[in-house]
Amino acid sequence: MRGTRSIPQSSKGNKGRIPFLGVGLFLLFFVLGLGADVIAPYDPWERFDPYLEPSAAHWLGTDDLGHDILSELIHGSRVSVLVGLGAAVLATVIGLCIGLFAGYYKGTPDEILMGITDVFLMIPRIPLVILLAAFLKPSSWIIALVIGLLWWTSTARVVRSKSLQVSEMNFVLSSKCLGFSNVHIIFTDVFPNIIQIVIPKFMLTVAAAMITEASLSFLGLGDPSMKSWGMMINFAFTKGGLVNALWWWFIPPGLCITLFVYAVVLLGYSLEEKEQTALGVR
Amino acid sequence: MPGDPVTNLMGEDYIASQESIDALKAELGLDKPLLVQYAIYWRDLIRLDLGHSYHFHEGVTQIIASRLVWTIALVGFSILFGTLFGAILGALSGWRRNDVQNKVLTTFFLWVYCTPPFFLSLLALYVFAFEAGIFPMRGFYETGAFADIVKHYFLPVLVLSLFLTSRNYMIMRGSVIQEKGKLYILYARAKGLLSRSILFRHAFKNASLPLITLIALDIGFIISGALFVEIVFSMNGMGTLIFDALLARDYPVLQGIFLFITVMVVLANFVADTVYGIIDPRVRQER
Repeated sequence: MRGTRSIPQSSKGNKGRIPFLGVGLFLLFFVLGLGADVIAPYDPWERFDPYLEPSAAHWLGTDDLGHDILSELIHGSRVSVLVGLGAAVLATVIGLCIGLFAGYYKGTPDEILMGITDVFLMIPRIPLVILLAAFLKPSSWIIALVIGLLWWTSTARVVRSKSLQVSEMNFVLSSKCLGFSNVHIIFTDVFPNIIQIVIPKFMLTVAAAMITEASLSFLGLGDPSMKSWGMMINFAFTKGGLVNALWWWFIPPGLCITLFVYAVVLLGYSLEEKEQTALGVR
Repeated sequence: MPGDPVTNLMGEDYIASQESIDALKAELGLDKPLLVQYAIYWRDLIRLDLGHSYHFHEGVTQIIASRLVWTIALVGFSILFGTLFGAILGALSGWRRNDVQNKVLTTFFLWVYCTPPFFLSLLALYVFAFEAGIFPMRGFYETGAFADIVKHYFLPVLVLSLFLTSRNYMIMRGSVIQEKGKLYILYARAKGLLSRSILFRHAFKNASLPLITLIALDIGFIISGALFVEIVFSMNGMGTLIFDALLARDYPVLQGIFLFITVMVVLANFVADTVYGIIDPRVRQER
């Protein structure tokens, strides 16, 4: 905040409130994804009559190939969890390392690392991801990898500014005086003081990765061996689900994406807010 | 890299003789070494010639130019509405964030923020065009009359604006909440300014700085948002062009679009820097 002072405000009311809705939804989808084989009523590849309307046997009907939509939906959360968490872990590790080193070493390393970050920040990411997803073999892992390699920039910036602050503190100086190596100081002294701003950033990256995966699958660029929500909407859209008003085919997967992203964003925001109240920013 | 332009042009079922494959490759310039191809690309680029499309049989520059107008209109209006509403509503909401209507609005925009743009378009298309039948299902125009074009543009612009509003709203809200704690706000209040004028005369300007950076950085993202909206509403703009070119492995078109978007992002950042200087005197003095 470039040296402008803030009025210390007594934060009242919603400090440290746990977002039960966010936690609940996140756990729900997490459990659905992990236990899809047990929870889903049918195998998502098992074929029944096509275009069935919702009934007691098939709560959300069946699609054009006769797959049970509810089972597909439950299996779809697996892809979202995998791609979302996988990409976010990669992006956060890259952003964390770059930010930590840039903020700790300052000077030339900082300029070089932040220069690279600025270049990555300017890349039109979604078009690039679409291009790469189209040219490489379509697989969930590659999508997660590409997203992870492109979505680390904002984490790197936030970590760097915090790392600049922390590196100036006295306990870092005393560690230096005791003769610890720089890498050791970065990971044992600086890193623990940054973790609380990384976690909300991590959650927001998960959300971005899930939306990107869904969008890619909607374009038909997803992993054909795994059923994802985006791909279900793609099939509904291209195979006449929309023009035949089969809303139970394309609305549920869309809602699932939105709900899952909502849960993750809610968690991220509440953690961020908690952090800021702890710092007295708000 | 799966698929190549030659197979795509000839068809997969067709068993081509080696001569005709070679002839086609020579025609497309694919027989030369990669470095030579790259040199030719640069030679043509200097003359603003982005090459020749394999699939559309037209110059890439011409294709992009003919599609561009429609996308620019879609993106332009959406950025305008999205920024306007996002900034004002977000500022009001951050200023008085415990009001009921602001809490409702924040929840609403948070939901929009969490919805992928393609699903939002699909919902709008299903509810307003398909079920209610108020708006046309596809395309930019039928008759070409002004009212007809407006009618076709309404839903796509609405969806994209809503999407951008939600992003700008969140940023602006957070930014105003931060500014609210600063000392100059307290001073303005002490000198007796009304709450609304403190917000719009003082806090708004300072709070809008992150927003300007975001919009400039987001140009690439906004264009890709437009891509999904265009695909869902079957509009022949840049977005559908990317998609068609992708399916046809039409590399010159893809390269051309990618270059174009990159130039747009750089330009947008340049404009943002200039606007920064106009809004914030501190930035002007540093130069």
